[in-house]
Amino acid sequence: MPLPRPIYEELERVVGVENISDRPYILAGIRAAMPGGPKPPSPEAVLLPGSTEEVRQIVRICNRYHVPYIATVSSLIQFAYPSGPGTVMLQMKRMNQIEEINVEDRYAVIQPGVRQGQLFTELMKVGLTYPVAAVGPAGSVLANFACSSGDNHGQHGASRTNRYLAGIEWIEPTGEVVRLGSLANDDGWFCADGPGPSLRGLIKGFAGQWGGMGVVTRIAISLNAWRGPRAFPTEGRSPAYQIRLDKKCHKVLIFKFPTLDQVRDAMLEIGKAEIGQAVLKYFYATAALLATESANEFWELWNSGLFQKELSLPLYVFLSTWSPEEMEYEERVLRDIIAETGGEAVDEQVLRIYEDNMDFFMLVGFLQRVLRLGGGWAPCKLSADSVTHMFEVAKAIPDFMTEFIEQGKILNAPNNFQIIPLEYGHSAHIELLFLWDRTRPDAKQIPMEFMRASIEADIKNGHHGTMPPGIPAAAGALGHLYSNSQRWAQAIKNAFDPQGVSNPH
Amino acid sequence: MLLTKKVLMGKLEDKLENYRYTMESCNHCGQCKWLLGPKTKGWDFAEICPIHMKFNFDAYSGQGLLNIAQELLDGQLKYEAGLIDLIYSCTTCGACDINCKSIRDMEVLDTILALRAKCVEDNQGPKPVHMKIAESVEQTHNIYGQAHERRSAWISREVQLTDGSPVAYFTGCAASYESSDIARNTAKILNAGGIEFSHLGGDEHCCGCPLWRTGQVKAATKQVEHNLDAFKKHGVKTIITSCAECYGSLRGFYPRVAKLEVEVFHISEVVQKLLAEGRLKFTRPLDMKITYHDPCLLGRLSEPYVHWSGEIKAFGYHEPPKQWRRGNRGVYDAPRQVLAAIPGVELIEMTRNEENALCCGGGGGVREAFPEFARWTASERLREARSTNADTVVSCCPFCQSNFGDVLDASGDGLKYRDFTQIVADAL
Repeated sequence: MPLPRPIYEELERVVGVENISDRPYILAGIRAAMPGGPKPPSPEAVLLPGSTEEVRQIVRICNRYHVPYIATVSSLIQFAYPSGPGTVMLQMKRMNQIEEINVEDRYAVIQPGVRQGQLFTELMKVGLTYPVAAVGPAGSVLANFACSSGDNHGQHGASRTNRYLAGIEWIEPTGEVVRLGSLANDDGWFCADGPGPSLRGLIKGFAGQWGGMGVVTRIAISLNAWRGPRAFPTEGRSPAYQIRLDKKCHKVLIFKFPTLDQVRDAMLEIGKAEIGQAVLKYFYATAALLATESANEFWELWNSGLFQKELSLPLYVFLSTWSPEEMEYEERVLRDIIAETGGEAVDEQVLRIYEDNMDFFMLVGFLQRVLRLGGGWAPCKLSADSVTHMFEVAKAIPDFMTEFIEQGKILNAPNNFQIIPLEYGHSAHIELLFLWDRTRPDAKQIPMEFMRASIEADIKNGHHGTMPPGIPAAAGALGHLYSNSQRWAQAIKNAFDPQGVSNPH
Repeated sequence: MLLTKKVLMGKLEDKLENYRYTMESCNHCGQCKWLLGPKTKGWDFAEICPIHMKFNFDAYSGQGLLNIAQELLDGQLKYEAGLIDLIYSCTTCGACDINCKSIRDMEVLDTILALRAKCVEDNQGPKPVHMKIAESVEQTHNIYGQAHERRSAWISREVQLTDGSPVAYFTGCAASYESSDIARNTAKILNAGGIEFSHLGGDEHCCGCPLWRTGQVKAATKQVEHNLDAFKKHGVKTIITSCAECYGSLRGFYPRVAKLEVEVFHISEVVQKLLAEGRLKFTRPLDMKITYHDPCLLGRLSEPYVHWSGEIKAFGYHEPPKQWRRGNRGVYDAPRQVLAAIPGVELIEMTRNEENALCCGGGGGVREAFPEFARWTASERLREARSTNADTVVSCCPFCQSNFGDVLDASGDGLKYRDFTQIVADAL
């Protein structure tokens, strides 16, 4: 149903004629989602607001006329698309300023359109950093802090992004501007939990509300000290860039283990020792994609069996220290732990890939190579719990995955999951990445079939293996594992969004 | 492993539908709009797509143009004036293509060019000004509609030509008519280096690049066929160009039409070789801070075209293996090494350089059809040049020169533009 002209004109008066369109050729650019997947409903118009005030006015107009809206930035994932017809899309990319980098108090205030690559490299200049959600350099920082899970390769020595939110400017679904945390009292952006109201759980929770709770227009995030250089020491040309930091203080070590239990034990011990910036049990097929420059190269590497042999049950460790002495200490402790837990170093040629590309532990500039096999790609699980529990979830993966592999529906990569500890093993995150050939006739069904099987396995096993789901059917099936949090979430949404216009379906 | 078959052909007569795999593969990851991660240096100068920088909607980007192309093919989108303007506002600079290819196996730019060709085929494109250029080329063999007899007017008495030499200087329309100082300086350099070269005279016609890149493929093909015949007629084995567009066209377009049986060199490559062999020496210091602007068709888009035809099997496997043009084998080192070798010259890099250089804004017929937007992009690029504190922007493309000139003339802030050949000639 096209947006009625009077409403369109009212929205146009807010953002200006050049920042709104309902022309089909403009909408064509924002209504194609995952290759081979179902096409989301087309928005009826797209707006490019330039300020918090403009967003506020747009949301109020949408409430007045019962027009659903969704805010997004780059639209990589399916949640960034309208969930129903008749929606207007707010693309937040014109609000793209880094408003403040406070070196003394270590926080940054940013707008939605700031990308990971921009903020990371600006912070490098002043010796600071932040946990870069593993979405690639073009992803929105704010979206991954306020609206998504925000797991990252360096969270062993840091944490998930939700721990770093220090302030939120939020347009409620009805159009009220709310500032959370210390910002509410004009005390600056140092703390999301006050003095002042702390409502960040409503907006962020575990993984955000996927556009169902208004629009976040600014956030402040806490920052960490950065031990690396003031700019990337990049060598080479695309796609064969190399980034090597000084080995005296930055070192990659990768080990392989005979069993998952041994990987777990090593991970826990490393956490207890409080060493290392990054510790990951990483995906091996994803690693092979990141290490190659074409699908053909991937197949050559994959068919060689090298990554299956070396990286099926690996532990990647990135040591990053202030001094060579500290490095010597951490490396010795690490090697003791690996010896005690039965690990051994991986093949030199595998290690060299990461020594030459330490960006893997920073911005992860080539993360989107995971899409190279045609784009049929989806993450699964995406949960967080204790390190031990995450490994229990991982051990149960073959129970439901093998059938899909045997039927040829997905890439034969049963160990293509990652487990990344948070805060030195305080907890951990799991993600299972499955890849399917999107040109198959049944390609559209595969992701939902696979995720359903995964959730059923979680229920059967009593595992907290899956992120509390946003899709009502999945939430209904899985909710009891999460204290029926979906009912609380819906009740909260109803209270804040009485018109049901903030991406409501 | 074979599950499905798809045929993708990279030949000139390709239709847009042959790029369906690319259109359907896009995941909206955003890499076609943003600088590659390892090359990013901060908040500023982090974007690489001129149309997206200016218009902000996703439709204005490599990703958006793929989505548009697919909807047009599938009959979900109908032609309208605004759509044609959008398609022709792209400078076809290829930054989206090269950035995408750092992570994906997709042919973004060739899809955009096929989309333009479809517009022409469907009588919806190009823009009237582009048709006028095609008429000029048809009638006068140059893009300006000037008398063909004047094509060699730049050749003064000082220029030493060697008739019958298998090495020919392909001057191109811009240096022949509008920027003849480039042609004269090129000849001066070649003469100084002892290179014997000929000129095709009246047999040299427009290279066809402006037609190719505005979707007028049939007209462009005629130019290719004529010039290839002329190379044969004159016994040419080696072509030297001073124009990025001619260079990129000879290497990237001509092989789509016919086998290219001549070697093609840019003047910067020739000078680099002459310096290395000691046949050319810089004797006059130049006190300059230079930042070098990589022209799209000399840099990321200058890799030789290699035809591929085959099947894309399950999970993206290309059978037979495809040789990808990822933009890393462009002419990047030669101009830089030459400029850096000039006494007194300090060479300073812009953030977006080499394969990630921002387009000047004038390519793909944009300067002719959307001059205001072309000037806006040039201003953006010059803002980046100014950030280096250089006093001179140097490049190798007469079209970049014109587009930058439009903005520099108005700014009056002292930043200068010089063609590569001018700098080299001044230093000899």
